Amino acid sequence: MAARTTPARRPAATRKAPAAAKLVEPPTPAPAPRETVLKIEGLVKRFGDTIAVAGIDLAIEAGSFYGIVGPNGAGKTTTLSMVTGLLRPDAGRVVVHGIDVWADPVVAKRNMGVLPDRLRLFDRLTGAQLLYYSGALRGLDDATVAARSADLASAFGFEDALNRLVTDYSAGMSKKIALAAAMIHSPRLLVLDEPFESVDPVSAANVTQILHRYVESGGTVVVSSHSMDLIQRICDHVAVVVHGAILDSGTMTEVRRGKTLEERFVELAGGRTSAEGMEWLSSFSD
Amino acid sequence: MVKQLLRLKLRLLGNAFRRSPWQLVGLLIGLVYGLSIAFLVVTSLIGLRLATVSIATTGVTVFGSLLVLGFIVVPLVFGVDDVMDPRKFSLYGLPNNKLATSLVITALIGVPALVVGVIGLAQIVTWSRGPLAVLLAVIGAPAILATCVLSARVFTSIAAFLLSSRRSRDATGLFGLILLIVITPVFLLLLNVNWQRDGLTILGRISNILEWTPLGAVWAAPADAAAGNPGTAILKELIALAFVALLWAAWRYLVATMLVTQQRAAEAKSYRGLGLFRLGSATISGVVAERSFTYWLRDARYQVSLLIIPIIPFFLMIPLIIVGLPGNVLALLPVPVMALFLGWTIHNDVAYDSTAIWLHVATGLRGRSDRFGRVIPVLAVGVPLIVVASLICAPLYGDEGLLPALIGVGLGLLFTGLGLSSVMSARFPYPAVRPGDSPFAAPQAVGSASALIQGFSFLITFVLASPTLYLAYLSLTVPRSSGWGALAVGAGLGGLLLWGGIVWGGHIFDKRSPEILAFTVRN
Repeated sequence: MAARTTPARRPAATRKAPAAAKLVEPPTPAPAPRETVLKIEGLVKRFGDTIAVAGIDLAIEAGSFYGIVGPNGAGKTTTLSMVTGLLRPDAGRVVVHGIDVWADPVVAKRNMGVLPDRLRLFDRLTGAQLLYYSGALRGLDDATVAARSADLASAFGFEDALNRLVTDYSAGMSKKIALAAAMIHSPRLLVLDEPFESVDPVSAANVTQILHRYVESGGTVVVSSHSMDLIQRICDHVAVVVHGAILDSGTMTEVRRGKTLEERFVELAGGRTSAEGMEWLSSFSD
Repeated sequence: MVKQLLRLKLRLLGNAFRRSPWQLVGLLIGLVYGLSIAFLVVTSLIGLRLATVSIATTGVTVFGSLLVLGFIVVPLVFGVDDVMDPRKFSLYGLPNNKLATSLVITALIGVPALVVGVIGLAQIVTWSRGPLAVLLAVIGAPAILATCVLSARVFTSIAAFLLSSRRSRDATGLFGLILLIVITPVFLLLLNVNWQRDGLTILGRISNILEWTPLGAVWAAPADAAAGNPGTAILKELIALAFVALLWAAWRYLVATMLVTQQRAAEAKSYRGLGLFRLGSATISGVVAERSFTYWLRDARYQVSLLIIPIIPFFLMIPLIIVGLPGNVLALLPVPVMALFLGWTIHNDVAYDSTAIWLHVATGLRGRSDRFGRVIPVLAVGVPLIVVASLICAPLYGDEGLLPALIGVGLGLLFTGLGLSSVMSARFPYPAVRPGDSPFAAPQAVGSASALIQGFSFLITFVLASPTLYLAYLSLTVPRSSGWGALAVGAGLGGLLLWGGIVWGGHIFDKRSPEILAFTVRN
């Protein structure tokens, strides 16, 4: 598969904002009302005295490529863990394809493919075994798993690593195999926490292309990242999360308001601290 | 620099006291334990002042050699977590010799060095028999301390440096096997010794050899002087000092090398195909079992339990032999002991998965399938093992009619233990060694609960299996009774408890899976 850094390119003639002239416009969402595949209501999570997630509401339609951006520690991972049934919320509801994740977890989880951040894999398995295990746990039969494993391996480009133990993989390779394992059962909703971290640009472009095709055929992707550029490039919707609350959300165009996502984010998050008072760094000691 | 590093070491020690109260209790127990052993050794050494030279020589040399050996073997085998690893200082650009010296000096702070220091002083009392003996003992005291501390430093670094790659850590299982092969003949030899009659002579012979090795020379030098052999005494002292010099050179070399060497990476080994997963995905439990079995074969933490379980019965035999139990009764020990430990192996299985358990949670895997899948590998290994071991042990006992009772006890304990483990690992997981760490390493966080849960699991297994044990006891003591009752109850009641444990544990897993994942994330 050819690696392209600009998937789904569209003519830039309709754009008004000069600041974003070099950036590629994501596909405009279809106007027809679509099913709300993921609905989050009043989600709250506390860890002791700190409030990690302070009441998040979000509705994500089928066929959207939804980005969740925020600084480190904003509560992105906590939110996505609660969405995927990995972390019990203190309050609130998560509904996936009409089924409450926390009331009927077994059924709800069938519709989701999950890539958590910073959790281990069963890394004493080989890549092929991990894919098989993930597929078989999802109830796929042997022939289907074998066929899809081969497809995923060639799409993500890790055919030669399939017979090595996952523990010997590099960080980027582990991410890719985990991503492949998350989509092996062709779920309705993919929840990916930092899917591009430590993935090389060529593979990232590859993955993005695969995800775009999945979205075009009606699938829904939720990705979190702290890379604004990346989210602006690949997503059609975005939510900005700071201190466990959503500051703005909607289509990419709505949220950006004619600026780049990064400029808009800094504006929303309350500016940045200037790098004053560090003069000593310019006088080198020996 | 010594000052800064000493301060760092003291701060690290101090921080150990600032953890949770239970960890503090554990630390204090360790401290008290170490100090009371030191006290015992010191009083013995002072007491040996009154013994004859030959007895004192044997005692001090054999004990001293074991002590030095401990400082070599423990870091090598158990892979001590080294807070003062030279590599941690590589980015500060410190001169090698200064760093090597400072690190050794900081190693003098701590319980082991304190204990050795006191023991070194005490052996001066043992050898206060003439000027040369005292002189050699006084030189010996710091030499002992230096030997032990330097050995620990050198071999900890060797363990951390050379054995750190994943491949070599996984080879720990192989080490265990070699150890088993080496220990068994030695063990059998020692078994045949009449200790009450020949004990001292044999120790004397062992001591005669050790005196000329670097392990025992430093302890034996003053003894030779006391026995009136100044020539050999000085020779042995020189051996001891040469060993210290050698260790010091090795340490300096290691520090210099480690500072400029990359972490060794293991070359990746290739496996072919799906391995055990070829067996297919007919049932979800089966798939979980295939994964679990793969881990039993590949993960050093599981391999170690598989290797240790056959050894445990032999270790339990030692005190029984000393008490003087007849040999044929000992043949009854292996089957129940191995069954008990096999059933116990998976009582913390979820913690062994660490955070990888998220996959089971995210896929909505039913608790019952998870529980049953983890039990299958142990059953597949355990049941044949129990039958074969019973077939060997019953004739050894001298009554082949005992076979059904022995198998019954084995199955009863195994099934009961597995049932209980299925509940415990879902309800009460406690911190375990993380995947990829040395199987002998201490878990990153030690809770209060672990010892309690371990002991509790054993106790409850015994209580639940007591009907089988009682019936087996009857077949052993009442003449003309058969053991078929014990077999029926062992397999039947055990099987029932196993099923119940899987269902109950599965229910707990279904309800608590996010909390279980949260637990693994915390540790």
